[in-house]
Amino acid sequence: MNKILSTVMLLLLILSGIGCSQAPTPAPSSAQNQSFESALAKAKGTTVNFYGWGGDERINQWIDTQLAPKIKENYDITLKRVPMDIDQILNKLLGEKQAGKSKGPMDMVWINGENFSTAMKSQLLYGPFTQELPNFKKYIDQNSKEVQYDFGYEIKGYEAPYGKAQFVLINDSAVTPETPKNAQELLAFAKKYKGKVTYPAPPDFTGSAFVRNIIYDIVGYDKIASIGNDKEKLKIALQPAMDYLKELSPYLWQEGITYPASIAQVDNMFADGELVMTVSYNSNSVAGMIGTGRFNNTSRSFIFDKGMIGNCNYLGIPAKASNREGALVVINAILSPDIQASKYDAKNWGDLPVLDNNKLNSQEKQLFSNIPLGKGVIPQDQLLQKRLPELSADLIPVIEEVWQSQIPGKK
Amino acid sequence: MKTINNLVSKVLPKTILYTALLSVLLPLGVLLIWSFAGSWPWPNLLPKTFSFRVMGELFGGYSGALQVLFSSILISLAVALVSILISIPAARAIALYDFWGKDFLEFITLLPVIVPVTAFAMGTQILFIRLNLSDTVLGVILVHIILCLPYTMKILTEVTKATGTKMECQALVLGATPFQTFRYVTLPLLMPGIIAAASMAYIISFSQYFLTFLVGGGNIITFSMFMFPYIQSGDRTISSGYSILFIATSLLVFILFETLMKKYYHVEEVYFFN
Amino acid sequence: MDHSKLKPYVMILPVVLLMGVFIYSLLNTLIQSFGILPAAGLNKWTLSYYQAVLSRGDLFPSLQLSLYYSLVSSILAVILGVLMSALAVSSGFTRKKLFQIFKVPIIVPHLVAALLILNLFSQSGIISRVLYQLNWVQSPQQFPSVLFDSHALGIILAYLWKEVPFVILMVVTIMEKIDGSIGEAAVNLGASKFKTFYSITLPLCLPTIYTSFLLVFAYSFGAFEIPFLLGMTSPKALPVLAYVEFTYPDLSHRPYAMALNGIMVVLSVMLTYIYYRIFKKGQKAKAGEDYQ
Repeated sequence: MNKILSTVMLLLLILSGIGCSQAPTPAPSSAQNQSFESALAKAKGTTVNFYGWGGDERINQWIDTQLAPKIKENYDITLKRVPMDIDQILNKLLGEKQAGKSKGPMDMVWINGENFSTAMKSQLLYGPFTQELPNFKKYIDQNSKEVQYDFGYEIKGYEAPYGKAQFVLINDSAVTPETPKNAQELLAFAKKYKGKVTYPAPPDFTGSAFVRNIIYDIVGYDKIASIGNDKEKLKIALQPAMDYLKELSPYLWQEGITYPASIAQVDNMFADGELVMTVSYNSNSVAGMIGTGRFNNTSRSFIFDKGMIGNCNYLGIPAKASNREGALVVINAILSPDIQASKYDAKNWGDLPVLDNNKLNSQEKQLFSNIPLGKGVIPQDQLLQKRLPELSADLIPVIEEVWQSQIPGKK
Repeated sequence: MKTINNLVSKVLPKTILYTALLSVLLPLGVLLIWSFAGSWPWPNLLPKTFSFRVMGELFGGYSGALQVLFSSILISLAVALVSILISIPAARAIALYDFWGKDFLEFITLLPVIVPVTAFAMGTQILFIRLNLSDTVLGVILVHIILCLPYTMKILTEVTKATGTKMECQALVLGATPFQTFRYVTLPLLMPGIIAAASMAYIISFSQYFLTFLVGGGNIITFSMFMFPYIQSGDRTISSGYSILFIATSLLVFILFETLMKKYYHVEEVYFFN
Repeated sequence: MDHSKLKPYVMILPVVLLMGVFIYSLLNTLIQSFGILPAAGLNKWTLSYYQAVLSRGDLFPSLQLSLYYSLVSSILAVILGVLMSALAVSSGFTRKKLFQIFKVPIIVPHLVAALLILNLFSQSGIISRVLYQLNWVQSPQQFPSVLFDSHALGIILAYLWKEVPFVILMVVTIMEKIDGSIGEAAVNLGASKFKTFYSITLPLCLPTIYTSFLLVFAYSFGAFEIPFLLGMTSPKALPVLAYVEFTYPDLSHRPYAMALNGIMVVLSVMLTYIYYRIFKKGQKAKAGEDYQ
């Protein structure tokens, strides 16, 4: 239910970048350099409050034991992690705006997708700021679609990339040797393992992504994308996918009459053996689950032939941040190969970096290539080939409403 | 005949009570085991693998969990104390006096329980920002008190009505000052209610996260704010560990409080309706 | 002396102030249901959101569901709670240290209680595993699915686990301290222990019993955590509906969520007020008798 951040929103970045740019990056203007220099100086000795979803122990641990100490050591900034869902974050920012508060405690937020467009529409974020960050200009492919658009909404420098995600399906090879490659094979799979397959009910973020992925598979991404923002046309185009989900439902858990409220329940039922499959928006999550012992080590991810949804998630700065300079410094630091590699290491978080591979020198590339692939994880080049963009954020509630009205309940 | 009598009056109650105790302990026992479970699939009665991630998370120092726990306990103690302090006179007024708006007040005090949090959260946040109470400990304490009042008021009103004024009248007649009466007669009489009300207030404050997010937010972080994301995300091991710590420390606080109060005020000899 | 006239007003002052803060916040938030939300650029008074909510197809089933499980769980909680209290007080169990264990579920957050019920009663839960050991089931699917259906058993169980101890806490506080001499006198005059309990002890606890019902009912009607985890996807309980709408990412949808909240507030207040009047009437009549 917490849209973006309540699920295992650990992102994998496709290292080889999407839409890699061949144009040389312009030399940073001296004015921008100066502003960052002054930010560095101002931020020294201060505290930066970093707000974001706190439901994953590994992410929290990485931030507390790897990121924060590096920030302190290199910049003399104390990074304070505050666990708060993006829903709460937006509520708090909204209230602060309405009350006319001049400065709030939130300096940096972990945000993306619909939440980003909501924040932008209510002018809750500070920006544009990405051009002020040396590492952004140095390492990020600024022509990439995912750097310019977040769920179809223009970013315009109001958030900086943090990590990437791609949707995958997960099962246990020791229990179910099959890996369905499309919706029809998934249907056969559900028939074979009757009652042991299900997905979280939208508006759970992962469940919603699963439904969208099915839509891509049945209707085709290109067809859906071409509809643009026309909600009525979208509903009509969706229908074949809804029919499929209806057809699938009797073979699901609880005969498809009811669905687990969150991805957490699905993961746990899979871990307990009540289900034979789960899903995740983090292509690396299975390695983490195996590492903490929650899943068996024969678990593995698999994807559809036609492709799986991918997106990026970001870091933003609230408009009323008290320590804007500190936030800029921290975000800039996060965009360094050093920290991105540490984040990517499956020992820590396992979240893929957002850096453009073409912009890394050989030493920096080594940092990443040295890191072994997590257990059960699909190699990035395979994931990259099968990566599909997200739809516009405005369409997602439409899809969820259609699902809600047609799928759950007795038929 | 006697054995059947015995059965009904002695064995049956004991059986029911102990079964009830079991139904309380069993889920908690499972919770405790989960804190150390790695993988616990069906049909195992005990975890298949064990894990001690929880120890690092809670006691490893990097998460700040223990500092947050300590400060949250202090905040909730303050909430309980102040709630009791303002509820005792107000409950007394409602129970023993007659005044304009009495019924209305009695009803209004229930509203924080009746009304869903989302229906007043944002208004509270904005008001507190305007009062400069936002992101302060005082603001968080005040907001928590509001949520506790329905319970503390109700409990103390009931107990005040039950104790009546007979004892106090006797004390006054015998020459005690109002203050002495309050300290040595009224307070001990109310003590069972105070203990119950304080416990409720403490736990409501300690478990509260939604409003604490909005009114406290960055600077005031409570243990619940730390704990809830883990519970929602489904990591049973870590969330169980947090829950056990939550429950254990709360129990400790209650036991300490009750022991202290009983020692000071000799509650055993208190009776109502006499 | 005017002092005595003023006295109660001074005594209630702090509580009144805080309640004032609460009412103000409530009104300020509910005003959004009329379309006033400047932070999202909405400034026009309108009833359209209420219209939209009231014309929802699933509003009535949601309301039905909420009323059903709140009433059932609250009534059962009070009955069981009073029963337990009576048993505990009359057998002296309340003096044992073990008795304190009954209070523990009050400490457990509602969300955790929901997960505990899930842990015990789900098809791959602890009870199912015990049955496996007894060879009664061979797979999780053979264990009956009791949690996620229209009977809302999971929701009711979770609320019971939390609320029976609460009722016990409230009722025992009074029951335990009812003057032993009253009971003794009755028994000396020939009444059985049971009759004494029924005609003397129980009526004296009635106000507390009524109050505890009110508190548990009001809470379970408006809380979303337990029905969110343990309820069916459709129909959703009323508070879950409200929460889903509240977390809708588009802020211009917020007035809709607030209209739903507003309707819930009106319903809860109405139900509580009716209950209150009936109870007060009963109390006044009884008080009249008592003061003869």
